[in-house]
Amino acid sequence: MSKAFSGEMRLRQSMAWIHTWLGLLAGWILFAMFLTGTASYFRPEITQWMQPELRLAPVAPRRAAETAVAHMQATSPDDQQWFIYLPNDRTPETRIFAMPKPDPGAKEPKNRSAEIKLDPATGAALNARDTCGGEHFYRFHFQLQLPHPWGRWLAGLCAIFMLAAILSGVITHKRIFADFFTLRWKKGQRSWLDTHNVSAVLALPFHAMITYTGLIALIVMYMPWPIAANYAKHADFYADAYGREADGDASGKPAALKPIGPMVDAASRQWQGGRPRTIVIRNPNDSAATVTILRSGADRLNARGESITYSGATGAKLSQSSPPGAALTTAGVMLGLHLGNFAGPVLRWTYFLLGLTGTAMVGTGSLLWTAKRRKPGAKPFFGFRLVERLNIATIACLPAGMAAFLLANRLIPAGLEGRAALEVSAMFWTWFGLAALTLLRPVRCAWVEGLALSAAAFAALPLVNMVMTDRGLFTSIASGDWLFLSFDGAMLAIAALLGFGSWRAAQVRVAPPRRQRKAAAAEFRPKELLDVA
Amino acid sequence: MRKRTLSQGISVFGQSLSQFFLLSRRGWRMSARCFTALVGGYAAAAAMASLLARLLPIARVEATMWGMILSFLMFASLGLWAFHERRLWKVALVIWGSTLLSAGIVMAMGIRP
Repeated sequence: MSKAFSGEMRLRQSMAWIHTWLGLLAGWILFAMFLTGTASYFRPEITQWMQPELRLAPVAPRRAAETAVAHMQATSPDDQQWFIYLPNDRTPETRIFAMPKPDPGAKEPKNRSAEIKLDPATGAALNARDTCGGEHFYRFHFQLQLPHPWGRWLAGLCAIFMLAAILSGVITHKRIFADFFTLRWKKGQRSWLDTHNVSAVLALPFHAMITYTGLIALIVMYMPWPIAANYAKHADFYADAYGREADGDASGKPAALKPIGPMVDAASRQWQGGRPRTIVIRNPNDSAATVTILRSGADRLNARGESITYSGATGAKLSQSSPPGAALTTAGVMLGLHLGNFAGPVLRWTYFLLGLTGTAMVGTGSLLWTAKRRKPGAKPFFGFRLVERLNIATIACLPAGMAAFLLANRLIPAGLEGRAALEVSAMFWTWFGLAALTLLRPVRCAWVEGLALSAAAFAALPLVNMVMTDRGLFTSIASGDWLFLSFDGAMLAIAALLGFGSWRAAQVRVAPPRRQRKAAAAEFRPKELLDVA
Repeated sequence: MRKRTLSQGISVFGQSLSQFFLLSRRGWRMSARCFTALVGGYAAAAAMASLLARLLPIARVEATMWGMILSFLMFASLGLWAFHERRLWKVALVIWGSTLLSAGIVMAMGIRP
């Protein structure tokens, strides 16, 4: 054996060894992050589905800005700041957060108000059921429902494990293009290996992209050290990178706020038709008032928006964000690629399907770990049973939890106090409760029944929706309500997929152990594992 | 069956105690390797990214951002290499050495004026 060849062999073996450990340690959390992250590509659509009372027609940004300012002028003209999120193609309502003037006596600054939702056409306050909507899956995807900042740190740790697992997986995999066409069904461990390889290789650029850009999304939190090398104050970095936020104080001299409409038009003209997304009005009705208009990321790849600030008292342009350099543009595009806000319907569904292949890659990797170590007849060791049970708890039970979150939205009375938190609890009680129940069943039955219950929960969604709202499947077909129609269709498709999984799990016979080739049997271990004391 | 003496009993007890509370030499070495890969890898990536950000002769906001963008590629590569290289002393030397060296240069240079 030539030296170069054995070196390459050893590299592949060491990478296979570390790939296994990375996947084993982070796999379950990564599965949950992939699945909820995939759902988050439809974040505004899920929110719309979860507030079926709202039926709003699309409105131009200028009109929405005017009605929003009129509403705030009528209700709380003396606030320090208004954050106005304008409606767009996917979120039909105007959302406002208001921040009251700080009380000179109070030590702590006041928090911003609860979200105000408006009908963009009239400026009337909307009254819909309280829910976290799609925002819940989105937040869970990188905060894992843990207290700040631990959830984000844990998600970051799992993401760096994922990145290292992708790199080591690619190195391990010498036949990367040949395996692209290899899928051997009904061959036990071989099939799981092939499924893992196909799902990984098929969308490899997507997996690598989504993992790296995910880390970039929270890079300032995860890797603040380069800032410290160049800036005495972190705030100066933010100002250089994302533009200085208007934080001026009020002058105390009252001055009427100029109409918002011409400012929105001027900004849109300057951006050559780019849509405004957010308007921040600081010190309204004061001579020092500022109006900052931020550009929407929905029409560009770069998610870091430009902004223009106008004087609220005169309407004149005060400042605008400077054009970003190559590094800032790179980071902005990476964030844009991760969030996918620029994607139209076709690309969005593609994102969704690619996200599912990522979920499948992580899931099949975890299953492969057990398939490889299963020895028929022998009593499984503790670690094996632990991994097997955690696989069931994550892969078979998490979908049921997600369906329970959506079911709870329809079943909890619309006016109940604290219902938004109850919906979230429903997800975790169902997920962990079902996971605990599967412990009572033998492994085979636990798979079959867990997946079947998840399938049933998704299949129930269109039915419960039909009973509890006036926007059921047949009404949607008759009225051409595409969002509700697609939602029901997607739930049925997911139910079918989980049902297929359950049926397959019932078919599986434990395959006789494959005769291990010598090369594969000599598993790589770092040196210290070989010096047996 | 031979009767166990007191001293043998103590010795067996001591061995099981040490096995229970202490890792074997192998275990210690593996723990040191994991710690170096995870914590050391992060520290080295942070220090080298900071050095890059400090040295790149472009606008400081751009240099800072390039350092941050590239840091995770360094972390992942260093972490993987830490498990590929057999000699633990070499892993520790490279990772902790590059951390100290890069961080030392950044500190000696001070914050970019």
